[in-house]
Amino acid sequence: MPNGSDRQKRKPTFNTLEREESFKNPSKNASTYPILNEFVTPHIESFNALFDDSGLPKGDGNGKGLLSLGIKDIGERVVFDGTGEVGTESGQTGWGNRLSIWIEEVSIAPPRVPDRDTWSTERRVYPAEARERLTSYRGRMQAKVCWKINEETHPDQCVMRDCGLIPIMIRSIRCHLRGLPSSELVRRHEEPEEFGGYFIINGNERLIRYLILPRRNHVISLLRPSFANRGPSYTQYAVQIRCARLDQSSITNTLHYLSNGSAMLRFSLRKQEYVIPIMLILKALIGASDREIFEYVIMQDYENTFLTDRVELLLRSFKMYSLYTGDQCLEYLGDKFRVVLGMPEDWTNQALGAWLIQKMVLVHLEEPRDKFRMLVFMLRKLYSLVSGSCCADNPDSPQHQEVLLPGYLYGMIIKERLEEALNQARNQIATDVRRAEPPPDFLDKRYIMKVIQKVNWDVGAKMSNFLATGNLVSPTGLDLQQASGFTIVAEKLNWLRYISHFRCIHRGAFFAELKTTTVRKLLPEAWGFLCPVHTPDGSPCGLLNHLSRTCRIVTTPLAVSHVPALLAAHGMTQPFSTSIDGRRNFCVQLDGRVIGWARPAVAKQLADNLRVWKTEGSHKVPLDLEIGYVSESKGGQYPGLFLFSTRARMMRPVRFLANGRDDQVGSFEQVYMNIAVKPDEIESGVTTHVEHAPTNFLSILANLTPFSNFNQSPRNIYQCQMGKQTMGTPSTARQHRTDNKLYQLQTGQSPVVRPRLHNTYAMDAFPNGTNAIVAVISYTGYDMEDAMILNKSSHERGFGYGTVYKSQIIDLKDMRGASKSTSAPTIHFGLGYDIKTEEGDRQHPCMGFLDKDGLPYTGMKLDSGDPIAAYVDDTTGRTKFVKYKGDEQGIVDEVRLLGSDTGDTELQKLHITLRITRSPVIGDKFSSRHGQKGVCSQKWPAVDMPFTESGMQPDVIINPHAFPSRMTIGMLVESMAGKSGAMHGLAQDGTPFEFSEEDRAIDYFGDQLLAAGYNYYGNEPMYSGITGEEFAADIYIGVVYYQRLRHMVLDKFQVRTTGPVDSVTRQPVKGRKRAGGIRFGEMERDALIAHGTSFLLQDRLMNCSDYSTTWVCRTCGSIISLGYDDLSLGEVSSTGTMKAAGPGGEYCRVCRTTAQGEDERARRALGNDQNQNGGLHPEVTVAIPASHVLGSSRKGGDMDVVAVPYVFRYLCAELAAMGIAVSLEVR
Amino acid sequence: MNQQSHPGASVGGGGFVPNPRQEMEYICADCGAKNEIKSREPIRCRECGHRIMYKKRTKRMVQFEAR
Repeated sequence: MPNGSDRQKRKPTFNTLEREESFKNPSKNASTYPILNEFVTPHIESFNALFDDSGLPKGDGNGKGLLSLGIKDIGERVVFDGTGEVGTESGQTGWGNRLSIWIEEVSIAPPRVPDRDTWSTERRVYPAEARERLTSYRGRMQAKVCWKINEETHPDQCVMRDCGLIPIMIRSIRCHLRGLPSSELVRRHEEPEEFGGYFIINGNERLIRYLILPRRNHVISLLRPSFANRGPSYTQYAVQIRCARLDQSSITNTLHYLSNGSAMLRFSLRKQEYVIPIMLILKALIGASDREIFEYVIMQDYENTFLTDRVELLLRSFKMYSLYTGDQCLEYLGDKFRVVLGMPEDWTNQALGAWLIQKMVLVHLEEPRDKFRMLVFMLRKLYSLVSGSCCADNPDSPQHQEVLLPGYLYGMIIKERLEEALNQARNQIATDVRRAEPPPDFLDKRYIMKVIQKVNWDVGAKMSNFLATGNLVSPTGLDLQQASGFTIVAEKLNWLRYISHFRCIHRGAFFAELKTTTVRKLLPEAWGFLCPVHTPDGSPCGLLNHLSRTCRIVTTPLAVSHVPALLAAHGMTQPFSTSIDGRRNFCVQLDGRVIGWARPAVAKQLADNLRVWKTEGSHKVPLDLEIGYVSESKGGQYPGLFLFSTRARMMRPVRFLANGRDDQVGSFEQVYMNIAVKPDEIESGVTTHVEHAPTNFLSILANLTPFSNFNQSPRNIYQCQMGKQTMGTPSTARQHRTDNKLYQLQTGQSPVVRPRLHNTYAMDAFPNGTNAIVAVISYTGYDMEDAMILNKSSHERGFGYGTVYKSQIIDLKDMRGASKSTSAPTIHFGLGYDIKTEEGDRQHPCMGFLDKDGLPYTGMKLDSGDPIAAYVDDTTGRTKFVKYKGDEQGIVDEVRLLGSDTGDTELQKLHITLRITRSPVIGDKFSSRHGQKGVCSQKWPAVDMPFTESGMQPDVIINPHAFPSRMTIGMLVESMAGKSGAMHGLAQDGTPFEFSEEDRAIDYFGDQLLAAGYNYYGNEPMYSGITGEEFAADIYIGVVYYQRLRHMVLDKFQVRTTGPVDSVTRQPVKGRKRAGGIRFGEMERDALIAHGTSFLLQDRLMNCSDYSTTWVCRTCGSIISLGYDDLSLGEVSSTGTMKAAGPGGEYCRVCRTTAQGEDERARRALGNDQNQNGGLHPEVTVAIPASHVLGSSRKGGDMDVVAVPYVFRYLCAELAAMGIAVSLEVR
Repeated sequence: MNQQSHPGASVGGGGFVPNPRQEMEYICADCGAKNEIKSREPIRCRECGHRIMYKKRTKRMVQFEAR
C-alpha cells in the first residue's frame, strides 16, 4: 500500500480495535453496553420496590417499600387472656387483657460475612463467591415485632426477630454489585456486562419468570359456559376485576349474572370461594337506599326496560333478607364471616363486616363511596353484556393483560410468610391461655418474647425453597392460577439463550394443560409487545413468549393524583353529580376508580389533550400514563375513557406525529390507535403515531437474524430456537463459573453480515459462530437430506472447534461413613497410610493422578475410571477414591477447595472443572442463521473439494434442495452480502425491512460483488476437485455465518452388543447412561411381522434379549414345578419305591406328588381288598439309572427343555403367587 | 517424571512410612495470595480471609495428542 491516506479515510465497520480496547480496559465509570442494563430493569426495579430506600420516585404514595406496605396491611393480631370477669369493663364476656401483636418493620441487609468470622478483611460477600462456593447469595432479614396490652404501647414491648437469610437479587439495591462500572465488575470476578436480575441459589443462577396476569383494576366482561355450572340460576355471563393493593398483592372479584336478573359477587378467601349477593355489598358500603341504587344503576335511562326490569328484580329479590340499612348488612356479613376471618373476638359484627368489605371487595379502592361507584359500574357493564350491547372481552388478549413482576411476587410471598408467623404467634398464645398451667401472664415480657422466639420466623428458608424449586407453598394462593413453575435456571449456554431468559414471559402453567389452542394464538393486539417470531415450537408454543425488543414494563410509581382535577377542569363531570345520563356519557376511570363522566366528544377531547400533555410533559401528566379511549360501537367493547398509571403494564415507545415527540403506548390503548410502521405508511387524518423502527416488534433474538424479512416465517422461528442452542461464548468470566456444563466455541468470529442491533446487544463480545465459505452444490451425495460436507482442512484450521466444561462436585458430607452430626467431620480429603506414595514399583497407581493432598493435579488428563480425589475415613483408616465417571477423556481445568460460610472448617467440599475437547466430528449438528440446520456427514479432504477460478474452496457444502421448499431467501442474500463484505472489508448491515422492490437487496449486493470482480448474482464457475473439470452449472458460493449447535453425536450415540440386563426380567436395560439398548417396540415388531422376517424377529426379541431355557413337564405343562433327584449317589429310595425322573434326575414335583397320592390310594384300595399285599413292594431295590427304566414318564418324570423368554418364566412365577397355574402344551 | 520426589514429600526408602501432615500451597480465589494449608486446616486465606482456594497447576508434563 504505497499511500495510506486513502485507507485512513474509511471508517472501520467491525470496530475490532475499539472492542479490544474495551476488553483490555473495561469502562471505569459505566457499563460498556448500557442497553443490557435497561432490559432487566423490570426484574431489578420490581425487587428494589420492596424496600423503603428503593430509589424509585414516590409517585402518589409515601415512598414506602412494598414490604412496609405489606406489613401495614397485615395489621395486628389480638388475643385475650380470659382473666376478665364477666360484665366488667375489661371484657363484657370475660375476655380479660387484650394483647395485640404486630410487625413494626422488617429489614433486609446486604449479604455479609457472618460475625463469627473475625479474620475476613472484606466483610461484603460478592455474588462470585456464592457462585463458586455453590451457596446462595443471601442477606439477613430481621423483623421488629411489637406488642401492646390493652392498647397501652410501651417502648420496651418490642423484639427484633431474626428471619433467616433471604436470597438477594443480583444488582438490586441490596446487592454489592449495584451500580458498579465494568472495570469494578471485572475486579469482582463478574462479566464486564453483568446486568443481574437473578438470584443465586446453591451456585445456580435462577430467576423468576414474567407471568401474564389479567390487567389490574380494570373490569373485563367474560362469557364462559362453565360459569353456568356454578350453581342453580347461574349463567355464562360475568364481569371480573383483578384489584391490586398498594403492596401489589391482589384479589379478584367476579360479578356473576344470575338468570333471575340479580348478580352475585364472588371472591376467594384462603382458597375458599364465597359468593355474596351484590345488593348486600352495595347496601353495606354506603347504606344506600333502594332508590339510590336504582338511580345509580339506571342513570336516567328509564326507557331501557331491559335494565329497569333487572334492577327491579335485583331490588325485589333482596327483600327476602329483610336487611334495610347499611349497618344491618354489615352486621349480617360480620355474623356470617366471624369464624372465617379470625379477627379479634371483641370486634362487633358490624366492624367485622366493614373489615371484610375493606379487605376483600375492590381492594384497590379505599373509600366505600369509590367502591360503590365501581360496583355499580360493574353491574352496568354486566347488564350491558347480557343485553348484547357490548361484547365479551378477550382475556387472552394483551389488551387485558399485565405482567407479574419477580419482585412483586417475592414481596407477596414474604408478606404472606410474615402474616403466617404472626398468626402462629397468636395461636400459640391462645393455646397457652387454654392449656398452660399456670396460664401465661401477658404482663410478663419474657413470656411474650419466648412465644415470639418459639414461632418459626424462618422466611429465608422458605424463599430459598421457592427460588430453588419454583413451587409456591401458600395458604391463599396469592390470587394466582398456578402453584409451581415460577422460577427457571438462567442457563449460560450462550449469550443469546442467557439474555432471552430475562425477556421471556409465560402465559401460566394452567393454560399449558388446556386442550384448546385459543390461548396460544398470536393476536394482533400483541404487536410490539410480544414477539411473533420468538416462541418455541412444540408444547409451550404460544404460551412461552418473549417481549419485543422495545417493550418496557412500567416499574416506577406515577404521580397522578392531580389528574381527576385536571380532567374536571377540562370538561369532565364530577362523579358525585346526580344527574348524569348513562346513555350519553362515558365513564372516566383512573386505575379502576370512577373519576367522572363525560360526553363521548368531551372524552375524546380529554384523551387527545392528555396525549399531548403527556408527550410534552405539561400539566405534570406522566409519560407512562395509558389513555385508553374506547369509543362507542354497536356491540363492541364497552366504551369509556380508561386511564392506567399503575405498575407492571407493558408499554412501548413510538413517535407521536402531532408534535414529533416520543410517546409511550400501552397494550390497552394501542388497540384503538393508528400507528404507522414506516413513515411512508402515514395516512393523514388517520395515523397518529409512527414506529421508531419497523423492527421494533421483534424480540432481541428475532432481530439478530439478518434479512429475516426475506425468509419464510417458520424459518425465523427455528432460528430463534437454534440460536439458543448454539455452542458459542457463554461467558467471559468462565474461570469463575461453576455451571454444570458450559459449551465454548474456541473459534468464534464476528459475523460479516449482521443487523445493526448486533453491536447494541454486545453480540461481538460473545461470538456465536464462524463465517464459512458455503457452496450450494450437490457434490458427492453426502449432502443429501440436509447433511453438509465439511472441508477437512478448514476443520483442521479450527472451524467449529469447541470445548465442553463439566463440573464435578465432591462433597464428603454425602459420602458413605460421613458423620451426620455437625461436629468435626470424620472423613477428610487426603491419602491415608495405606497408600504408598513414594516412587518405585510398589507406588500406588493413584499417584499418577492425585497430589499429596488427595486432590487431582490441575491439568491432568483423566480417562473413565481414573481416580479424581482420595479421602480417608477416620474410623476405618482406609483411603477411598472418587472416580471420574465419563466416557470421554477429560482434563482437570480447575480444582476449587470450598470453605464454609465462616471459613473455619477444613476442606469438605470440592469443585472440579473438567475440560473436554470436542472437535467437530461426523454427526455433529450445524446451522446457518436461517433455520437451516444440517448434520456433518463427511469431512472431505481439501484436495477433493471443488474450487473456484480463484482457487478458493468452500468450508461447507450444502445441498441446493435445502432451499426451494423452505424459501430461506435471507440465507441466499446473506451469502451474497457476506461475500461482498468479505471482499470489501465491510461489516454488512443485515437489518430486516431495509430493502424494497424499488431498492432491491440483490442489486445492492450484486453491484458490490461486481465491483469486487465477481459475478453479479454470486454464482461462480467451479471445478470438480476430483476430475478437475468445470461443472456444467455455475455454483452459488458465498459467506454465511454458521453456528455449531450443542447437539453432538458424542453425547447421543447409543450402541450395544451385550451389556447390563435388568435383574428382574433379564432384558437389556434402557438408557444411554447405563449402556442400555434402544427399545425394539411394538410398532417395530409389527413391521417385522408384516415383512415376514421371522428369523430376525426371533433374533431381536428372543436371542438378543432375554433368551432362556426351562424345564417343562409334558404331563401337566407346568414350568415352575421342577425338582431334582441327585443321581450321583445312586437312587436308593427309603420307601423302596422307584421314583420316576428324567435322565438328569429332574422330575415334576406336582405330577410326582399326584402320582404318589394315586399310588397310595391304590394301595389302600388294594389293602382293603386283600389282607396281604402283593408284589408291589419288592424285597430288594436295585439302583438303575432312571433313563433305563421304562415308563418312568408316568409319575412326573416326563420333562422337556424348551426355550422361552425369561420374562415368561417370571410371569409364570408371579401368576403362581396369585394362585393361577400356567400350563404349557409341549408338542 | 521426577516431580514426585519433592523435598519433604516423604522420608523415602522402602517399608511402610506414615504420611506426614502434608503442607500444600494453594492460591486464594479472591486476592491471589499463595497460602500454605495443611490437611485438616480450615480453608481460609491468610491474607484476606477468603473461603475459596484454587489448586496450583501441576508442574508435571502433560502430553496431548494433537488431533
